[in-house]
Amino acid sequence: MTACIEIALKQSLGDAEASSLVKKADSYFKIHIESARTIHMLTIDSELKTQDLERIRQEIFTNPVTQVSSLSPLEIDFHWCIWIGLRPGVKDNPGATAMEAVEDLLGRSFGPDEGIYTSKRYCLSGESLTRSQMETLAKALLSNPIIQQFKIFSKSDWHPETGANVKPARVILDHTPCFDFIDIDSDQTLAKISDQRNLALNPRDIPVIRQYFLDPEVAAQRQAMGLSGPTDVELEYISQARSDHCNHNTFRGIFNYTDGMTGEKTIEHSLFKTYIQQPTLALKQKKDWVVSVLWDNAGVGAFDEHNNYAITGETHNSPSNMEAYGGAITGIVGVYRDPMGTGLGSKLFMGSFGFCVGDVNYDGPLKPPLHPRRLLNGVIEGVRDGGNKSGVPTTFGQTLFDPGYMGKSLVFVTALGIMPKQVKGSPSHEKKTSPGDLIIMSGGRVGKDGIHGVTASSESYSENTPAGHVQIGDPYTQKKMHDFLLECRDEGLIRFITDNGGGGLSSSIGESAMISNGCVVYLDKVPLKYPGLDMWEIWVSESQERMTIAIDPNDLDRFMSLSRQHAVESTVIGEYTDTGKLHITFQGKTCAYVDMDLLDKGFPAWEFDAVWLPPAARGLTEPVIRKPEDFNGLMTAMLARPNICSKEWILRQYDHEVQGGSVIKPLVGVNRNIPSDGSVTRPVLTGNKGLAFSQTLLPWYSKIDAYHMMTCTVDEAVRRLIAVGGSMDHIGGVDNFCWPDIGYDKKTNPDGRFKAAQLVRACRALKDACMAYEIPLLSGKDSMYVDGHLEGAFGERIKVSALETVQFSATSVVKDILHCQTLAPKSAGDFVYVAGITADELGASEYYDLFGKTGANVPQVNFAANKVLYRAVEKAVRLEMPASCHAVGRGGLGIHLALMTMAGRLGMEIDLSQVPAAAETFSDDVLLFSESAGRLLLTVPPDRKPVFDKLAKGLAFKCVGGVTDAHDHLKVTGVRNDMIVDLSCADLDKAFNKLFGEMI
Amino acid sequence: MTQVKALILTGFGLNCDHETALAFELAGARPYRVHINSLVDGTVNLADFHILAFGGGFSWGDDHGAGVIQAVKLKNHIGKDLLGFVDAGKLIIGICNGFQALVNTGLLPGLDKNYTRRSVAITYNDCGNFRDQWVHLTANPESPCVFTKGMDQADFPVRHGEGKFIAEPAVLASLQANGQVVFQYADATGSPAGGVFPFNPNGSLYDIAGICDPTGKIFGLMPHPEAYNHVTNHPDWTRRKQQRQREGQAFGAEETIGIRLFQNGVAHIRERFF
Repeated sequence: MTACIEIALKQSLGDAEASSLVKKADSYFKIHIESARTIHMLTIDSELKTQDLERIRQEIFTNPVTQVSSLSPLEIDFHWCIWIGLRPGVKDNPGATAMEAVEDLLGRSFGPDEGIYTSKRYCLSGESLTRSQMETLAKALLSNPIIQQFKIFSKSDWHPETGANVKPARVILDHTPCFDFIDIDSDQTLAKISDQRNLALNPRDIPVIRQYFLDPEVAAQRQAMGLSGPTDVELEYISQARSDHCNHNTFRGIFNYTDGMTGEKTIEHSLFKTYIQQPTLALKQKKDWVVSVLWDNAGVGAFDEHNNYAITGETHNSPSNMEAYGGAITGIVGVYRDPMGTGLGSKLFMGSFGFCVGDVNYDGPLKPPLHPRRLLNGVIEGVRDGGNKSGVPTTFGQTLFDPGYMGKSLVFVTALGIMPKQVKGSPSHEKKTSPGDLIIMSGGRVGKDGIHGVTASSESYSENTPAGHVQIGDPYTQKKMHDFLLECRDEGLIRFITDNGGGGLSSSIGESAMISNGCVVYLDKVPLKYPGLDMWEIWVSESQERMTIAIDPNDLDRFMSLSRQHAVESTVIGEYTDTGKLHITFQGKTCAYVDMDLLDKGFPAWEFDAVWLPPAARGLTEPVIRKPEDFNGLMTAMLARPNICSKEWILRQYDHEVQGGSVIKPLVGVNRNIPSDGSVTRPVLTGNKGLAFSQTLLPWYSKIDAYHMMTCTVDEAVRRLIAVGGSMDHIGGVDNFCWPDIGYDKKTNPDGRFKAAQLVRACRALKDACMAYEIPLLSGKDSMYVDGHLEGAFGERIKVSALETVQFSATSVVKDILHCQTLAPKSAGDFVYVAGITADELGASEYYDLFGKTGANVPQVNFAANKVLYRAVEKAVRLEMPASCHAVGRGGLGIHLALMTMAGRLGMEIDLSQVPAAAETFSDDVLLFSESAGRLLLTVPPDRKPVFDKLAKGLAFKCVGGVTDAHDHLKVTGVRNDMIVDLSCADLDKAFNKLFGEMI
Repeated sequence: MTQVKALILTGFGLNCDHETALAFELAGARPYRVHINSLVDGTVNLADFHILAFGGGFSWGDDHGAGVIQAVKLKNHIGKDLLGFVDAGKLIIGICNGFQALVNTGLLPGLDKNYTRRSVAITYNDCGNFRDQWVHLTANPESPCVFTKGMDQADFPVRHGEGKFIAEPAVLASLQANGQVVFQYADATGSPAGGVFPFNPNGSLYDIAGICDPTGKIFGLMPHPEAYNHVTNHPDWTRRKQQRQREGQAFGAEETIGIRLFQNGVAHIRERFF
């Protein structure tokens, strides 16, 4: 029997959800709804007695103060009713918690055929509303066909008794699980099957795979296990392991790099080894604080005497482009499993986000899967719910706009954890699997969701991309598991732990079994969301919120008892062995039996051609712009630009203080609305040390040269850390590359060779920057293929590629948090200093972009000079000399002086002629808007000026003005001694909040 | 018993347990982080403690109203223990999700000594979104609340999507008459915010940020006192430090008003039970 509970807010109370719908319908689609109400629905697919239904309706699902509810459709009037429900198989988090609550209250368990499903209906009133308008709202605002379904009822369609007539969204596969043998009689046959089954095998891998299975010795061993040719389970395993996502074939590939001007050729054998691994390992030798890098789920650095921190960063681009909320929440919840699965497990203590999207007001002909506005809202909410419900503060985040991201938007998520250095006397960052250890899967169950996620994210988005890999993360289930696993860790129960992310069990067990050198897995033991999954599906499913753990069989009882206490499902699904074989069975029958070293059997490296043409050869020149006359107008126009203006409304939606360790917040200043250079957090509340964190994204410079994009990005991340109180002695880095397709194809990717050269150059720059500033790369990931083929006005599909983008994250340890600093000037009478040289480097700047220009003079980093300068600033901050400190970034001195003025609510009087500059002939616009790297702004109190001047002696520090309380204006005098900028805080605020100020 | 023992609930998506435990510790109590299931299965006995803290978080994902399922579960399994705890004159504090749970169990507002009736609600913010910001609070000097004794104002962060306090006019009038309105959102001068956003961040009626029961021993509030456990938590600390230094004073060792709030609770137990 199916019952349905309908719940609505009492009419006297404001329905915020409905109001938001009315507002969006009007502003996005010019659909005028007079009034609206939201009804939440629970479809209960269970044999419950009427009195039990009544009891759960009243005791659990109805708030007597705010809500009305009924077991029959609520009588709420409408002209149109839109019902939205999830498609079968899509994760229904509220449905699951409803079931948990009902089971607990009634003291009975739901059987496999029972369930509770949530959905909503909106009752909309408005005489003039039409069915086609309802369809627009349903499709373009309220639902996404990938995960949801909708029904539209007019008043006359509606039956007061049956209502929306919702059927349980139960998955019924009606399929007997099996496995198949795959025909490998020729390369062509296997290639064809790979295509049909979406295996995404690389053509170059196919002969190696065939050779392995055709080897007589291998065949004989397999025959003994009842296997002939390869099974689908085995090929899926190989496909996952060889995917670009898991194996990083691009970064491990061979690049034939040609300088298009000189014709000089270089061969890059592995970007990863040359530019990431080698420098990081060299730095690890030098830096005591580097604990564990380049092998685990996250890198590990020392925090204090007793604790280490773990950090990693991820992207979740492809899924977020199709279902923004689901993709983003899965992304943040997913990256949070990495520190949980680092060493013996760490406790999460902070996270951050980076969003790169198209123009939110785009109204051109291209049709991205989701409009940038809708996409941005979805990813904001996804990361918000995922982060907040995980109980982890989101202390930093940036949002960028560029037309290229309409092809594929980027969603960066970063996670940090803290762990005691020792667990039961052993180093917590070490772990291994040993023969005899049990393989346990904890957390969520396995369903069809996420199948082929890894291989799909290793391809460009097209109309054929399977949508089945879009999931909805479940932070509630994961938070329970997080708390549970930390208790297990502290009791010494965990021998090995890793998360199930891309590739599911195939990756987590496949990789962890390499250590013990073998495993046997009983796939029929894996708990499923619903029956009917084939073996290969169980093996590669990416269903979320799962960890794979190795424990000593003697600890099983204790482990399971803690698991029950925390209401976490854990199941023994196999055993680690030392047989040298990956052995998978289902109900006693072998469905995979391959050598653990199969992946070392000479799979060929990928190869790319890279051809570099310098900017001049590509025809890039400086634009000719004569000195502007209206600098006030120019400054306010710059401040109002999407990439400069306030995004407070986004940051405020993230809990950035949970866990109680907030020191420097994401928004600072008197009005707490100016984005901070970085964040500082106390992960250990009993100590005075802080973890400083910053991130930088400067993809625009890739328009000129990705080498300088990379160096500027690292330089700014370092500068931001120094500004808040970080130290050059300890800087950890995380690189997240997002690159458009670099594989050359005359027709489909004609500029692939250039983009490949840009990648090589960015990697070279990364090494140069890391060696110069001594930054080991604690972690890093790459997401290739950030392109989209978007439908245009005439049904054509146009390829839109994102800018070559790297998000660089940097960490430092602050010895005493009381020395931390913010960018807000704090007192009148203080002197304003500029540190670092301003050069004519407006190439790809915000200023040029204002005029639609690119230019060629991209900022270049002088590592040697900056290092000395940063050391001096670090020392000054540590000795508490400046009252504020700020890294100059996008938009140049003009914008960053404006930010400081707004933050301090005090006047600033600046003389541009005093700014340390590479030449004396610069005009005011160059001085104000050049984006030269290596610069900071500081304010210094008069009594500390003499010692500060002494410290700064011989370096590029210059006093350029002062802070005043005589007014609250930013006043800038130009090089000809004329007042060029005079804007009050109110003027600046107005411009800064023009675009998004209404958003809350 | 020589120590004030504070039980901080954990599990099922709750998440402020570590810093709440730290706050109690700094306030002189001995904190115990206890999984809800340990109370349900009887491994831990509520009667062994003096203070019960319902902390912040997203219990059961807050999927069916914030704090709702937590309230149903506790009422269902340890309802009697909770009432016994109240009868014994012990203290209960509910912060954010904990406050939401307290009003859904009926422990708050506890009008007419009825500790099971739901007569107030905490619902979706008027601004329509989850919001993290620091708020100014003005404390009611007439309130019997033991936690805010001697306080006139405080700054704490709010971090919630459902923080709007609502009640029928008659209920509201009783709360006011009994001094049960403990904290109100205030503007920069310390006067009640008068509903003005963002001083009142969620549209709460009468700017209510926290209430107590008529005895003052059960206290619920949306802002997070435990998140102000160190001077560097306050958004203005770098500015204050500059001011203090320029006045020739030291900065950094001060106790925060967040910790004072917990100290008041601990002191009350010491007076009453030791």
